[in-house]
Amino acid sequence: MFFRVIPKREIPDLVRGLAHEFEVVGPVAKGESFVFAPLTDPSELRLDYDTTLLPAKQWFFPASETLMRFRVADNAVVDDSVDVTPRVLFGLHPCDVNSLLLMDNVFLGDDPDPYYKARRDNTLIVGLSCMPTDTCFCDAWGTDETHWGFDIFLSEIGDDYYASIRSVKGAEVVDRYVTGREVTEEDTAAFQARTASFKAAFASDIDTSQLPVLLDAKYDSGIWAELGDLCLSCGACSMVCPTCHCFDVHDELEADQTHGTRVRTWDSCMFRDFAEVAHGNFREVRAARVRYRYYHKQWGYLSRFERVLCVGCGRCTRACKAHIDPPRVVRALQTGVVDR
Amino acid sequence: MSVQKQGLATAVNPYRPHPARITSIIDLTPMEKLFELRLIDDEAREAFSFESGQFVELSIFGVGEAPISISSAPSKQGFIELCVRNSGDVTGALHRKQCGDIVGLRGPFGRGFPFAEMKGHDILLVAGGLGIAPLKSLINHIHDDRHDFGKVTILYGSRTPSEILFRQQFDMWQHRDDFDLILTVDKPDETWTGETGLVTKLFDQIDVDPASTYGAICGPPVMYKYVIAEMRKKAMDVDRIYVSFERRMKCGIGKCGHCGVGHQYACIDGPVFNFWEAMNLQEAI
Repeated sequence: MFFRVIPKREIPDLVRGLAHEFEVVGPVAKGESFVFAPLTDPSELRLDYDTTLLPAKQWFFPASETLMRFRVADNAVVDDSVDVTPRVLFGLHPCDVNSLLLMDNVFLGDDPDPYYKARRDNTLIVGLSCMPTDTCFCDAWGTDETHWGFDIFLSEIGDDYYASIRSVKGAEVVDRYVTGREVTEEDTAAFQARTASFKAAFASDIDTSQLPVLLDAKYDSGIWAELGDLCLSCGACSMVCPTCHCFDVHDELEADQTHGTRVRTWDSCMFRDFAEVAHGNFREVRAARVRYRYYHKQWGYLSRFERVLCVGCGRCTRACKAHIDPPRVVRALQTGVVDR
Repeated sequence: MSVQKQGLATAVNPYRPHPARITSIIDLTPMEKLFELRLIDDEAREAFSFESGQFVELSIFGVGEAPISISSAPSKQGFIELCVRNSGDVTGALHRKQCGDIVGLRGPFGRGFPFAEMKGHDILLVAGGLGIAPLKSLINHIHDDRHDFGKVTILYGSRTPSEILFRQQFDMWQHRDDFDLILTVDKPDETWTGETGLVTKLFDQIDVDPASTYGAICGPPVMYKYVIAEMRKKAMDVDRIYVSFERRMKCGIGKCGHCGVGHQYACIDGPVFNFWEAMNLQEAI
């Protein structure tokens, strides 16, 4: 990895430069919150944002996307092209960069998903340091740092950014659009101090010990019925989750009924029909669905990819009207009591 | 900046179904038909190989996709047979298709029965209802390789005589001595002269050598526990009893999340699991 120091005042130049080559997407204000949206002007960029309402996954795995257009008469595909728009996602916090790496395991592993891959291959990632909010718990999973999965990572040091550069394309755009300078020992010391204050600012204290064992050993625990009684089955947790990758696929016919599109949409294991088959429903009750969500994230995914499927971004904490989130569920698993 | 699109080569899109022609339709019962399908593209047809217990995604554009296990044997190439009950949108649409119509196929997907490992052993197959569909592939594969197996016993339970699938073939097989076949029905009619009652009742009539027997079970979810208990009573090993699970396999490639069973996915880790694996999967049995 090589490094540059980029003065904060040059960020608009970088964004303007990038806009010649890419659609630039970054955090912008929306009401009292923030969202990732295409920028029309560098001044819209809010690098002081806390967390966006929706994660960055929509730029790789949209909430709804056409997989293919078909002709009914001979059951033929007439178009299955993919989105190759050159895009840069500017200002992803470490949790969100890590979430893409977890998504990659699913979508780029065996049988790679061409729709996700095309967007991933054509998107530059610019990461950005942050400070924990009261809903952040990335430190619990070690996703408060990221060492790959980005082209450029900007860590704030006073009036400058300490930029870690990972890719050829990242180096090219830094060379082309900002002056920057070599890092000094002082800059690295400032980077370390910044990291230390970041780590010290976490208030969360989640005991993640032995979660896979506890999920099996306490599979029949009463905590699941309690949590199931609270859950509204709205699926908001899945929609705002940067690592929830489940999807549904359905066909939509065009008005003349001769052609149509096969569309995939985000889905949630919180929805009642998620595991329904002709013979019945494997997760008819809410308790079973809440349990499955955690079972999959902290054990199912882990058994395959050796990481939990959560980055501690806290979006579900903010979105869940029933206040069900990983810190509370993990506490319930450890203590056997769902706190009120 | 406007969205830029690029076409895909067919081979790189695992969601793109291959066109297949329906070359035969046989009515098995009022609810189930047997469809013979042939992939139209020569290259795709020649490349298609599978093992018993695997499934395909049957695709009818405008309606959707459904996972269907393959009923024909891997030893028969160039076509596959699907035994399909008319029970939903996609299967209903398939039932309305005629010979010569084109549908789509993706796959084969999943892990099937360990045929090579089963060779040289006795085989005990237990099917309930539509569960005969994937086992039929295994039965036919064993049939085509019969000298490689010891004693082969098939226990097949149906609700009524009219719901027995592949009845013509099974009626003929009643007289073969290389397959011990016992059919049973829950509700006999006046024509029925065979066994009545649940398939588990038939275990009293069979001898099993636990040291050399592999079991294969497929049926409605409620059946597994009881059949496995009977096999365990016969002292069969937990890792030689194989079960095939029905789940909502939607993508077939471990991405959409719908077929989760415990910590695994039926579409890539199964749908066939041995009982040791299944015991370690929550909500499996």
